[in-house]
Amino acid sequence: MTHEEFLEKFQDVLQAEDPLGMDTVLEDLDEWDSLARMATVAFLDSDFGVQATFEDFTTMKTVADVARKAGIAS
Amino acid sequence: MAKAIFNHVRIRGIKTIVPDRFIDIDDEIEYFGNSVRQLERAKKMVGFGRRPVLPEGVTVVDLCEKAAADLLGELGTDRGGIDALILVNQSPDYFFPASSYLLHDRLGLGEECAVFDVGLGCSGYVYGLWLAHSLIASGASTRVLLVAGDSASTHADLRNRLYAPLFGDAASATLLEHEPGDNPAWFALGARGAGWDKIVVPAGGRRLPIRKDMCDVEVQDAAGNVWHPWDGIIRGMDIFNFTMEVVPGNIRELLAFAGKGMDEIDFFALHQANKQIVETIVAKTGIPREKTSWETFSRYGNNSTTSVATVLCDQRGERPPLGRCLLSAFGVGLSWGSAIVGLEGCHNGGIGLYPTPAGLPGRAEQLEAWIRYFLGDQR
Repeated sequence: MTHEEFLEKFQDVLQAEDPLGMDTVLEDLDEWDSLARMATVAFLDSDFGVQATFEDFTTMKTVADVARKAGIAS
Repeated sequence: MAKAIFNHVRIRGIKTIVPDRFIDIDDEIEYFGNSVRQLERAKKMVGFGRRPVLPEGVTVVDLCEKAAADLLGELGTDRGGIDALILVNQSPDYFFPASSYLLHDRLGLGEECAVFDVGLGCSGYVYGLWLAHSLIASGASTRVLLVAGDSASTHADLRNRLYAPLFGDAASATLLEHEPGDNPAWFALGARGAGWDKIVVPAGGRRLPIRKDMCDVEVQDAAGNVWHPWDGIIRGMDIFNFTMEVVPGNIRELLAFAGKGMDEIDFFALHQANKQIVETIVAKTGIPREKTSWETFSRYGNNSTTSVATVLCDQRGERPPLGRCLLSAFGVGLSWGSAIVGLEGCHNGGIGLYPTPAGLPGRAEQLEAWIRYFLGDQR
């Protein structure tokens, strides 16, 4: 998955209004609520086979951090 | 994990009943900051649609009675031949007797019958099927009426958006009978008592009875969700983690135990916790998407105890006949379970409505009647 594909997919997963960038800070998104957190964990699990927990969001701060967790090379 | 295989049991028919009153999420835009965008986002992500909700004065036991009476009528079953009645339920009419005894009376079942309640929520239908199968397979019973129902709406304030919009009220009846021929059914059940406080109603039991001191206790969280001590609490994130940890593995383990591949299952009826959870289980487990559905959630909400039965009944007209089905459910306890059952020839009664009767007795009237009863009057 390319960066562009990832950004597009992740935007859809979060149902975010504005396009995402790799440097987007999750906490800055209007849509970054508990629904979005669950959707992110589900996205990592079902699309990348990566198990994340909600504690991981203490270190996953940006979209790039989520991509790295998904195993997408930066 | 508790695994079992049962033979010589046939599921004759299933019927679901919901109240005739629905709440549509489109009418609740006030809870989404009056923003159409936020409402549409929640609908798309969680799958919110409409959900049946019991009107004041009707209880889930009323729904249970209609589900059972309709099913027995549709099947033309002799009520005298029913030798076990199981009610899976978390919203009883009274502290005791168990609500199954109210059903036993109202359905006019005979006295040669074992009657009891099972207190489970979302995993309850699979646990109930397991119990009914084991009663018949052991020879203890020959014809079991399994009734499952819950009214989650009675455990939440409408303004608790972490709880109320997810659930719908419903009840189902399932008739199981002994069959001389071979019809294997496989089960894998599990429990984690350590998670007992992840879904809990704290007040109203004997640990914390409802008394005057709590009648005015009303708490609001930062997001505006309202809670009383007799309302339910759901730790959503923990439940999500628990589900992903346990459910896909439970389904795969059951398939391995039964020696079946995904291609040998005609339909997967998954507990409708919400769209997001169902879709994640489907993706993680590798269930073919055309063989399952999360859409029952949008039409009826999460029906707790009877959710899996609602999914099966919701397939009437869509997907006949049901064939070999894998059922999977999980929730309060914490508990989980999956089953593979052969539903070839099973009567699918679909989902019917419970018409709200006029002139139901109010609280004051009920209280007064019980006072008179205590004082020696006849009921």
